[in-house]
Amino acid sequence: MRDISDAADLMTTAREALLRELLPALPVEHRYAALMIANGMAIAAREHRLGTDAARSEAARLRNLLADSGRSPATHDLSALRKAAAAAIRAGYFDEPARAAALMTDLAHTAEAWVAISNPKALRPAARAASTPEA
Amino acid sequence: METLGAAVASPAVTAIERWLRETTQADHVRIARYEKLPGGAIQENWMLDAEIGGGPWRGRHEWVLRTDAVSTVALSRTRAQEFAVLRVAEAAGVCAPKPLFLCRDKSVLQREFFVMQRLPGVAQGHRLTREPALVPDGAALLHTLGANLARIHAIHPPMPELDDVLRVPANPALESVADYRGHLDQLDDTYPALEWGLRWCERRAPEAFHITLIHRDYRTGNYLVDRGRLCGVLDWEFAGWGDPHEDLGWFTARCWRFSGAEREGGGIASVEPFLDGYESVAGTRMSRAELTYWQIMAHLRWAVIALQQAQRHMAGGERSLELALTGRIVHELEYEVLRLIAGGDR
Repeated sequence: MRDISDAADLMTTAREALLRELLPALPVEHRYAALMIANGMAIAAREHRLGTDAARSEAARLRNLLADSGRSPATHDLSALRKAAAAAIRAGYFDEPARAAALMTDLAHTAEAWVAISNPKALRPAARAASTPEA
Repeated sequence: METLGAAVASPAVTAIERWLRETTQADHVRIARYEKLPGGAIQENWMLDAEIGGGPWRGRHEWVLRTDAVSTVALSRTRAQEFAVLRVAEAAGVCAPKPLFLCRDKSVLQREFFVMQRLPGVAQGHRLTREPALVPDGAALLHTLGANLARIHAIHPPMPELDDVLRVPANPALESVADYRGHLDQLDDTYPALEWGLRWCERRAPEAFHITLIHRDYRTGNYLVDRGRLCGVLDWEFAGWGDPHEDLGWFTARCWRFSGAEREGGGIASVEPFLDGYESVAGTRMSRAELTYWQIMAHLRWAVIALQQAQRHMAGGERSLELALTGRIVHELEYEVLRLIAGGDR
């Protein structure tokens, strides 16, 4: 427990102020913009909480998937790993059924982690229960 | 925004009045209302009320003027192409706004535009999928939408009016895969889940297919419903020759169901009445495997477009929260692609 607000708490608190205090006072034509702002703030707050883990886990999974391919970049940089994975996919490296299954499992975990940040409501119940609960 | 109830005065309005006077062979034209309609990240629609004196069009008219937004996406057609497609669709009995006049002379509005009939009704997907009063009989609406789509798909090449403006693909699915990869290659980041979806679609591309006119944005949110009935299909900017199955996948894909995520028929009702309506005109019915294939392709295509929208915000000098949030949709599109490939719920 911290003594003062972190970025996620500030974002969440500011969002609540927007929704509770400002939104009811806004003319109807500004309602959509206010709801978009609230959505953007919610995503930012969730990414602050979950984004580092999501990126780190994704990088670890991609490194593991590419380990035996001879295509793994000599870096832990996520964007380099994504590039290498994309190139391997296009080249057909993951067409082989066992590799395809491993890739599917890992990509699904990664996608769930990012959906839990961008739009947790889109997760199906099983995945939603597994993701971190968030307002 | 230009909103004046009485006569409107602005350089654009004066230019449109002058152009309409010539085009409709009128003695005089007065624009009583010229007002930008909401929505339209790619195209702009302007409510246009005109009073025409003399000539074959004399009288009061309620029209829509459609033109390009400041920036467009690479996948969309020009207004002249869209106008040509609308004319062909109208002649085939498709329910759509009647196209009236095309202006290719950029000295009028600095952009191409056309004028079409204004139709009543509600198009917003979140309302149509949430307010039962707007759609009292979802199955009947879907049946009509399916039948109407089949009328579009009854238009085949060759068709001289369109062959000049639209290209016939040699293999629609494979060309889509190549096209989407080309767009992804323009971006800074890489998307392994989308790449896997494209690879999956590439390896399972249908060997047999028909080529017809397809709308390419036939979905809830792009048709008008008035008193529960279909009034017209809008937004023909992506139409072209292609595999008609693409339109059925797009209409039924989860990403276009708004508040009705569990209702496969465009968020309105189950998919069956839509396929029934389609079959009643086309005489054919898509298999479940074909539908899933094209639903995957639909999510991939929407992901590519969403990434283009995000680019406008990130790199195109068009800072916008709406475009930024559209980019964030990509995560759930990747999630749906993977679920569909794995045989999960639709």
